[in-house]
Amino acid sequence: MTATLKIQANTDQHTETAEQHAAFEARIAGGEKIEPGDWMPAEYRRQLIRMISQHAHSEVVGMLPEGEWISRAPSLRRKLILMAKVQDEAGHGQYLYHAAETLGATREEMVDALLSGKAKYSSIFNYPTQSWADVGMIGWLVDGAAIKNQTMLAGCSYGPYSRAMVRICSEETFHHKQGKEMIVQYAAGTPEQRALAQDALTRWWWPSVMMLGPHDKDSTNSGVMSNWGIKTKSNDQVRQEYLNEHVPELLELGLTLPDADLHQDADGNWIHGPINWDEFWDVVKGKTGLNKERLATRNAAHDDGAWVREAMLAYGNRLRAQAAD
Amino acid sequence: MTGADAQSQEAQAPDTQTPDTQWPRWEIFKQDTASKVHQAVGSVHATDPDHALFTARSVFARRPAAVSLWAVREQDISSVTREELDNGGRLPDASGETQPYKIFGKKNHKRSMTFVDELGMLEAASPQAALEAAQSQFGDGLLAWWIIPASAFVGSPEDTETVESWFAPAKDKTYKQQSAYGVVGKHVSERNPKAKA
Repeated sequence: MTATLKIQANTDQHTETAEQHAAFEARIAGGEKIEPGDWMPAEYRRQLIRMISQHAHSEVVGMLPEGEWISRAPSLRRKLILMAKVQDEAGHGQYLYHAAETLGATREEMVDALLSGKAKYSSIFNYPTQSWADVGMIGWLVDGAAIKNQTMLAGCSYGPYSRAMVRICSEETFHHKQGKEMIVQYAAGTPEQRALAQDALTRWWWPSVMMLGPHDKDSTNSGVMSNWGIKTKSNDQVRQEYLNEHVPELLELGLTLPDADLHQDADGNWIHGPINWDEFWDVVKGKTGLNKERLATRNAAHDDGAWVREAMLAYGNRLRAQAAD
Repeated sequence: MTGADAQSQEAQAPDTQTPDTQWPRWEIFKQDTASKVHQAVGSVHATDPDHALFTARSVFARRPAAVSLWAVREQDISSVTREELDNGGRLPDASGETQPYKIFGKKNHKRSMTFVDELGMLEAASPQAALEAAQSQFGDGLLAWWIIPASAFVGSPEDTETVESWFAPAKDKTYKQQSAYGVVGKHVSERNPKAKA
């Protein structure tokens, strides 16, 4: 494939010239999309593969916390909605693996990196889902935060990633709205339903605020990511957008946010209290949370599917052999 | 895909692969309605043409609208970007048998969920010859080209009944549409805090 061959010619950063970089940056500044086959710095390629494959893994692992609740949905409608949502996450993983492949990463390498624990995925999916209301709260908060991030990435300079994000955002909006609809109903429902919604909010609020990543001052990759139009907004900017949209709506329902320091500044922005980053990093590193369980589930599914993959391949090979006769 | 400046590496023959190596990759083209052209939407991995189309249906047609899907093995695609052409890039030009090629192109940098659109079909003796003919027919300012022999395509069934069975169910699953859910709470525009500089 075009891209793969060029990658081999272009993995040595020492062969990159200032002129090439200037021309590349001028293209991005001019609003052009970089496409497979175009010249790109080796570091741009490396960062994108890292980021897009992590993003794909997150979609795939993201099926697990919610998938557990499909058989326990309270109504057929809710069950259909949840199945569609989990199917979407699988599809989003596929779109993103495709985007990473255009940069020369192979599907096997990426899947192996996830299954072996070498690759990271979003730590939000290592929190347990303890009640049905978590399904709604994840839809509203976690997917709400994800949409803010992905809307930003839809404007990114790499064509295949941008296109995957546009497609994902339109589907993700359904996830966001169904979750919100559910929580709005429970918040206005019986005392038990209200308590369920509040409990879910209390547990999911901080993880959703953290999932947008470390503060700008502690973010390692941001300089090069913004110069090359990969990330066009900083973590804290995206987090601010998330807070400004979600805080007033949650308060409007009479729910309580677990942040005593939360307040509005003079411009009307909602300002959160200090974040417990130790908790965040412990979950990222798998010290706490369900990292081990999630990977075990993924590995079991992969291993259980081996016979299917084998059968598919045998069938495909037989067809090819027949066609060759 | 066959590159502009090099022949692609021979894809590993699938029958030498162990079950967990990568299946062949297929690029998928989706047609939204009968009056629209097929557009490149992404890829799937699959062992054979039927598998590719079924997978494509699950990945790219969970929602309306679709009336047709095409799949093409990635190594059957010759691709080139404007930048590559500006740098003297060429597609394979060894004259073979004259055959029909389907031509796809990307016209602008607008935000989109699809890549190249089908532009038409023409007869040529090589991908490079097809590209040159396409440039004079469709304009030479395009941002990216895909040139693919028509014989490389497999498509979803075209009889009405099967088209229905493939694509109609998505239309009834309205709960998947964001439009099925009302706006809840005050509208964002009412609040609209001034963005921080």
